Amino acid sequence: MADADPLAALLARYAAGDPAAARMLAAAITPRIYAHALRVLGDGAEAEDVVQEAMVRLWRIAPEWRLGEAKVTTWVYRVVANLCTDRLRKRRTVPLEDTHELRDDAPSAAEMLQQRARMTALEAALQSLPDRQRQAVVLRHIDGLGNPEIAEILEVGVEAVESLTARGKRALTQALADQRDALGFEDD
Amino acid sequence: MTKARQNDDAALEALFEVDRAAPPEVPDALMQRVMADAVALQPAAPRSVRKSILARMFDAVGRAPAIGGLVTATCVGFWLGVAPPDGVPDFGAVIMGVEQDVFVAELDGDAVIWFGWDFEEGEADG
Repeated sequence: MADADPLAALLARYAAGDPAAARMLAAAITPRIYAHALRVLGDGAEAEDVVQEAMVRLWRIAPEWRLGEAKVTTWVYRVVANLCTDRLRKRRTVPLEDTHELRDDAPSAAEMLQQRARMTALEAALQSLPDRQRQAVVLRHIDGLGNPEIAEILEVGVEAVESLTARGKRALTQALADQRDALGFEDD
Repeated sequence: MTKARQNDDAALEALFEVDRAAPPEVPDALMQRVMADAVALQPAAPRSVRKSILARMFDAVGRAPAIGGLVTATCVGFWLGVAPPDGVPDFGAVIMGVEQDVFVAELDGDAVIWFGWDFEEGEADG
């Protein structure tokens, strides 16, 4: 329910001049949209620019935000998706090497290496997808959003989202097919 | 769904799970820029100024219009006390013990009758 959106309440507090609300909003939203932009764009510097721009738009709209109209995260994701789309249209090739740093909290070196290999392979496979499929797959399977919310973010119908994610998953499977052994999936 | 397809989905889900479990760290510089923007664009909070007792009394009475009315009423009251109109007892003089001449108009009997005075007093003209 949009009325119970805790981020909308924080946004109202921010608009009323509460400095703590700005910190809480930034802490709640920035990591999610940074991760999303990085996965979609595959470029850290561009992802940072997109996130900063999206947050600026959020700060600016705060005084006019109407409670209950939309979820703050949906709105921000939509801004990020549009900014990513604009950037993707401007370029033809994507540097596959520019994958993000992994956290070093894996339990063992062997597992860490395998996790790193899996993440690198996924990053590369994601970057090989068409832009809309990549956005839909990341929103659905990594950001964990539901299809109706993804439909709002990408401004398409729910059926279109289902189609995009299904085709995206098939393409990912195909892209990763020859790496199954190397990624250790024969043992899974 | 075939077994191969199930395996593919499971492998893909395992990859997604690894990715979800290790989200990228937000660079500190980015967070600082986001916060700097937030501060720069934040609307000012309404200022709560602590008012003096006099200012709070001024507010309680009703501010300038009400104060104006009070001052006027006070001046009129004071002036009525100093120089009361004819026919109004001078309470100030009474309090101060000053004797004063009282002029009582001799009323014509008929005129009094018009006011019903004779009904109250009976033989008013007698």
